Amino acid sequence: MNTEKTIEALSYLSAPRGGISMAQNGADMAAKVRDTIYRATIMLDDQRWDDWLNLCHDDFHYAIKSFSPEINKDMTYLQGKRKDIANLIRLLPKHNTDHSPLRRHTSVYTVDLADDGRSATAVSSFVVYQNLLDGINSHIDSGESRLFLVGKYYDTFSVEDDGPKFLKREVRIDERRLDKGSHWPI
Amino acid sequence: MVAKTHEQWLANPPLASGEWIDSRIYSDQGIFEEELDKIFKHTWIPVCHESELAKPYDFRTTSIAREPIIVTRGPDNVVRAFLNVCPHRGMLIERRPSGSFMEAQPSGNPKRMTCMFHAWQFDMKGNCVYISREKEGFQDRLTKEDVGLRRLRCEVKFGGFVWVNLDDNPVASLEDWAADAFGALRKTLDAEPLEVFHYHKAIVSTNYKLWHDTNCEFYHDFMHYHNRVTGFNDAYFARKNEAFNHGHIQVGTFEVNYDQYEGFESRAGLSFPHLPPNQWYMVDLFPGMNFNLRGSALRCDIVTPIGPNKVMIEFRGLGLKKDTPEERETRINHHNSIWGPFGRNLHEDLIGVTGQGSTTLPGSESRRVLHGRHENQTIHDENGMRHYYEEWSRWMNRMASDPSKPFTAERHVEVAAAE
Repeated sequence: MNTEKTIEALSYLSAPRGGISMAQNGADMAAKVRDTIYRATIMLDDQRWDDWLNLCHDDFHYAIKSFSPEINKDMTYLQGKRKDIANLIRLLPKHNTDHSPLRRHTSVYTVDLADDGRSATAVSSFVVYQNLLDGINSHIDSGESRLFLVGKYYDTFSVEDDGPKFLKREVRIDERRLDKGSHWPI
Repeated sequence: MVAKTHEQWLANPPLASGEWIDSRIYSDQGIFEEELDKIFKHTWIPVCHESELAKPYDFRTTSIAREPIIVTRGPDNVVRAFLNVCPHRGMLIERRPSGSFMEAQPSGNPKRMTCMFHAWQFDMKGNCVYISREKEGFQDRLTKEDVGLRRLRCEVKFGGFVWVNLDDNPVASLEDWAADAFGALRKTLDAEPLEVFHYHKAIVSTNYKLWHDTNCEFYHDFMHYHNRVTGFNDAYFARKNEAFNHGHIQVGTFEVNYDQYEGFESRAGLSFPHLPPNQWYMVDLFPGMNFNLRGSALRCDIVTPIGPNKVMIEFRGLGLKKDTPEERETRINHHNSIWGPFGRNLHEDLIGVTGQGSTTLPGSESRRVLHGRHENQTIHDENGMRHYYEEWSRWMNRMASDPSKPFTAERHVEVAAAE
């Protein structure tokens, strides 16, 4: 038997009279997971890196991956534990970075809660646009948005008493052409 | 005098001839077309790595100077290259970037390169082995023997890279072309099989030579916080920038202090064979290929010029084929933390060259770009670029400092001494 059940399906179960059902609890938690993913999107868009990391568990692991048909390999473009990502973020002001902000459009597709209610997984699609500030010639290019990345987030959450925390985020991008790339988490 | 009038701005700098170039060589469409014809169609280009076609009947497609190329591994395990063009009506034979001919295609059989258009088939040696309705259409006027693929000079060398030359009679064998430049690294690269673990590409608005310049000069390490904190010491500034025949250079090594960048670690545990810990070598080959070995990971850049102001750069990362999964993961981290598309240095390098590209758009005013630093052929000396542009001038029969004039040998003391 599958140890996880889709919360969307569970939410259709009726609650018993006079109390909140397990299904209702699950639906509430699924909503919290979705809310956490969307909050993360806003924090990443706003470059509130520390606020984003505060949504993450101490054991958080982050990775950006892509499959290359060119070399027939699954590739990891960036990965690290929470402290590694925190280091990269802390050192960003030391680096020369393209000033054009990245904006994400995220859609949560599925949320699955473990039977014990202590963890959850979610799959979301995302589109990342680069809202040009620098461009090639900022006089010409600034103000324009260009498609930067498309892919999916594969998230794992630890469900704590105070809500879900990101335990793992795998950012799986479709691109192998990344032009100037980025210093920022996606 | 600080700011300049237009006339002063366009005047030659107070440096010797050969210590600057004219920016028209980055922006002129006619010069770009000449470069494809005179340089890229006659020089050795590493198009991929043998690990990308590991098994018989594997293939990889690529292009040089707009000519489509297919590289195959035959049942005899030999890697060969052909124009990826059907001799019948010019259809691209294989459209995918990679794959295996072990699988049948809708128009053809397994173990054959099949042109989907009219089902002509070719074996892994480029021989035509099937023409649909051959006798009915061609009688005896044209046979399979008349229509083999165009084979190309192809060798696997210098760490397992696949090198192709469109010229049947190149100016030098591959060995003579690049062996000297690879000298200090050859034992390391050929000690055991390597394997590609990383691939991504950038198409950016700049001239291909400007990317190669960035790989040839280390003065721009001031742009890289990582390199400043892990590198700037006496040993770094003593690194030699050495010139070799055919326009190649090699930048000598020193011990990098990776742990000086917060969160990064020493790479000593996974050094490539025959290397002391945490070394950093660079080999830059004319006309625009780079091999960059930082202790535990090898990076290779291959440029494909698309226009005077547009270049595709393919980035590969390589480790040892025998790596355990744990070793490979560590190498990948080492590679990508600096050189990946989300790494600390590559993004900065690409911003730098696109900034140059934005000031050298086709039709923009010609300017002088300086290559005049002399520091006893050490790391911030610009002798590597001067050496490159002398070679470029020779191949193009144009002076890089004034491309309207034919090449005349004006060798510089430090380059001659290096050779």
